[in-house]
Amino acid sequence: MKFLTYILRNARRNPVRSVLTIATTALTLFLMMILTSFFAVNDEVATSSGVHNRIFVLNSQGFAGRLPIVRVREISELPGVVAASPLSWFGGKYNEEKMPFAQFGVDADTYFTVEEELTVPADQLKAFKENKDAAAIGRKLADERKIKLGDPLPLGRDLYPVDLKLTVRAIYDGPANSDLRMCLFHWSYLDDTLKQYSSTAGGNAGCIMVRCKSGDRVPTLCREIDTAYLNTDNPTRSQTEEAFTKFFVEMLGDLKGMVRWIGMAVGLSLILVGANALAMAMRERTTEVAVLKAIGFNRQLVLFLVLAEAMIVAGLGGLIGAIGSKLLFDYVDLSQFAAGLLPFFYIPWLTAVVGLVASLLIGFVSGIVPAYMASRLSVINGLRKVV
Amino acid sequence: MAGTNSIVLRGVTKEYKRDSFRIPVLVDLDLSVAEGEYLALMGPSGSGKTTLLNLIAGLDRPTTGSVVVQGQEIGSMSESEVTRWRADHVGFIFQLYNLIPVLSAFENVELPLLLKSLSKRSRRDRVMTALKVVGLAGREDHYPRQLSGGQEQRVAIARAIVTDPYLIVADEPTGDLDRNSAGEILELLELLNVEFQKTIVMVTHDPLAAQRARRLLHLDKGKLVDDVVKEAGSMSVAS
Repeated sequence: MKFLTYILRNARRNPVRSVLTIATTALTLFLMMILTSFFAVNDEVATSSGVHNRIFVLNSQGFAGRLPIVRVREISELPGVVAASPLSWFGGKYNEEKMPFAQFGVDADTYFTVEEELTVPADQLKAFKENKDAAAIGRKLADERKIKLGDPLPLGRDLYPVDLKLTVRAIYDGPANSDLRMCLFHWSYLDDTLKQYSSTAGGNAGCIMVRCKSGDRVPTLCREIDTAYLNTDNPTRSQTEEAFTKFFVEMLGDLKGMVRWIGMAVGLSLILVGANALAMAMRERTTEVAVLKAIGFNRQLVLFLVLAEAMIVAGLGGLIGAIGSKLLFDYVDLSQFAAGLLPFFYIPWLTAVVGLVASLLIGFVSGIVPAYMASRLSVINGLRKVV
Repeated sequence: MAGTNSIVLRGVTKEYKRDSFRIPVLVDLDLSVAEGEYLALMGPSGSGKTTLLNLIAGLDRPTTGSVVVQGQEIGSMSESEVTRWRADHVGFIFQLYNLIPVLSAFENVELPLLLKSLSKRSRRDRVMTALKVVGLAGREDHYPRQLSGGQEQRVAIARAIVTDPYLIVADEPTGDLDRNSAGEILELLELLNVEFQKTIVMVTHDPLAAQRARRLLHLDKGKLVDDVVKEAGSMSVAS
């Protein structure tokens, strides 16, 4: 492009101003990427989970309600069901650390059939199934806490009035968008331990994960299950895994809406910052613009040159903030600092590209007024002006 | 030297409005400039010489009257038309050079060519030719801050001639230069006029600069008060 040299030289004419503008845009977009990706990842995972044809069955009152363990067997016997497993949250302490990672009591025989995308070496799976005090942990959990096969994994009482003395028998792996920091153990081990302590908390499946043979069966099965338990003490609410995943975000209230408003406010601030920087730059270049117009640069060309400069500066900030954060979090696992609340974190490409496009749009909008004023500059007044 | 009249001003008046006041800058001015003429405009501050220069160069429009350059009534052209006209027909030389500081000498001279459909190679050839004419071949990679005032003005002249315009307008081209540098610039302008037949209209306060021109116009309070044509070995009053 013929004018690219001129545009780029102008963009770096005042290095301090340009760097500060780029840094402002980059840092702001970086933070917005983290915020918006939380929802974007959730949506992406929710949508992609549909291929596994899974249903989550809860008490209609939510997590606080009980689901009798017998329903796991009942549901697994329904037509179209491949397998079912309880998913009972334990929430124990590890080395006095509260909520260190997700801990679930599951059916060791069926869990890895339901969660088909998770992989376990055959010998480890066998050991997990055969040992009642066995734990299967995710690869990331094993790596971060340096836990090996055969290591003890004691979980202290917190939510439940019992301690669990587990031994790691399996380390599972899976795709990037799965939780590789869970600790899974035999539900029956938890239940037996609760009975030993005469606790009434036993017999509760918590949540039931169901894998169906086909996607067509999923909606019907949800209705069948809920209808079957409608008039019982513990009616159910069955939903697809996609809906269940989104349910967690909905529990946070209109956080998505708040983030959207924050994003808009941030965008407006960036526009004003960019416009101010460019207006200052154009004021310093009044005579120069007048000379360009004198030698034949028309209004449209002057408008284009100034807008291009604004978009390049903003776009560079977007590249660093949006695409840079995407690449950074592909290598740095932010979820390891989230104390188990965030099983995985990445910035989807779509979110990063939208961030980049937003930065270009911000550059365009911030440049409109200074560009228009430059294009309308009277040559004579511009040549007279002493800056 | 005298050719056809290619710049003709008839009944030109220029007024500026300041609040409710109308300030006349040029009053009912008639002027003809022949092709290839070298004309100097002189006069006290506020006499209207720069305004006259701006009208001839297509940077401003007369309040009344007509400005015809090479048969084209530039006073009635739209802004985009006159901008295009300037790009094709006029080269500008300013007192303070007005080079783009972030561009090299080569890139400054190349600027007007970017408005034309020329290949990169073609642009390069023209730029180097222009720099050679002004005696700065070899300094094309230098930035304005690395050049002396005289050299900067040479680059500005190269920029003014690179599109081979018909008309060169110079507003105090030696106003910011020492005696020696001013002399070099004036020699260059004379070369452009004599060898390349450029029509030059120059505003100046410098009597030495005015001496180099072949025709000298004096303005005062917006009116033409003296018009002296310098023939070889003698001076004659044109009007």
